Amino acid sequence: MRIRILSIFCLLFGTTIPLSAQDGGLVDFMDSIGKIYVVVGVILVIFIGLVIYLIRLDRKIARLENQIMDND
Amino acid sequence: MIKKHWWKALGVVLLIYAFTVGLLVPLKPGIQQVSPRSADAGTPITVLVNGYNTSYPADPTAIRAWLKVDSIHALAANSIRQTSRRAIELDFVLPASLPSRADVMPASLIIDEAQSGVQVLPDAVFIRQQVLDPAAGNIAWSQTVIQDLHKTSGMNFPFRNILKETIRNTYFHVSLWFAMLFLFIASVYYSIKHLRTRELIYDHWAESFTRIGVLFGILGLTTGAVWARFTWGAFWSWDIKQNMTAIALLIYLAYFVLRNSFEDAERQARLGASYNIFAFSLLIPLIYIIPRLSDSLHPGSGGNPAFGSEDLDNTMRMVFYPAIIGWTLLGYWLANLSARLLILREKYLSE
Repeated sequence: MRIRILSIFCLLFGTTIPLSAQDGGLVDFMDSIGKIYVVVGVILVIFIGLVIYLIRLDRKIARLENQIMDND
Repeated sequence: MIKKHWWKALGVVLLIYAFTVGLLVPLKPGIQQVSPRSADAGTPITVLVNGYNTSYPADPTAIRAWLKVDSIHALAANSIRQTSRRAIELDFVLPASLPSRADVMPASLIIDEAQSGVQVLPDAVFIRQQVLDPAAGNIAWSQTVIQDLHKTSGMNFPFRNILKETIRNTYFHVSLWFAMLFLFIASVYYSIKHLRTRELIYDHWAESFTRIGVLFGILGLTTGAVWARFTWGAFWSWDIKQNMTAIALLIYLAYFVLRNSFEDAERQARLGASYNIFAFSLLIPLIYIIPRLSDSLHPGSGGNPAFGSEDLDNTMRMVFYPAIIGWTLLGYWLANLSARLLILREKYLSE
């Protein structure tokens, strides 16, 4: 679990640097539409983050349910 | 049912409001692009203007335009042609001298018409001069007065030149950070309560609030990086705000590492609570104080308020504040689920 948090962090740091220097075409495209897809991206990131959290919570509850069943 | 769960419904309703209104309200009309970006004094120039959300009228006499070099000196356009609702051409005859001894002066472009209201592009055209004659420049650039500007009608968000539509991220990225702060405050409150009473239940609450706070922090950092890619030019600029925030979150991640290094629940709770107070007392200077003391790309650096009146106007506040409450309630809901799980686990598995 903790490893997963750390790997998300590493992913964030790792991918940021090489992507930053290139791609004038993408920047031009984003400019032409008022950069609205940046907002879409931000909302997607939040949504995906919340879903990942819910999946983890779901698993933890399932594990607890199993353990309680076994104990009985 | 409603009595017990009203705050969940409130959080969801506020977020739905923030998502719909925050995404549907249009931006104020603004100037997207001009060309050329530089010109020589003493020559006639034609400036091509691309508008954003504008509806330039076909009748060119309804449009007025100025180049403004400082607070008192401006030059009106000689003639104006509309090529489409989104584009106009402006003819200026630049005087031989500028009202200054500088070799180059940046001129802001101001366009005013009744329907779209006034639009400004700062530093639109850089004007070079060969003949330094401030007195003549002063006269030539004082022939016009900018007045009777129109306001944009209807409900709009501000048009900011670099931000453009991404100003809407205020309701998602910025308000998420506010919610994170509230969650960490709640977490510290429960940690102190645990240290005073030694009740494990308060530690479960503190751990849950920290967990959601860190989740929101990671989401805040990631969304900030996405936003920065198209406004600052890179996902990660090694900006002081980004660096300090990353450090603060790493300190919070260490909270979980520390807890897990002890088997005993009592010790986990006691050390966790102490460390949580320590982490919170570092979070405040790292995120809110140090970045303000130095130069940063992030708003709110160098002693400035993070929100100038241009960045957060009253229309935006109508969405921004509900969004903060919505994200906080959603965070509280998530923390609530996590705490209930920890309490159940302790109750059923500890004996």
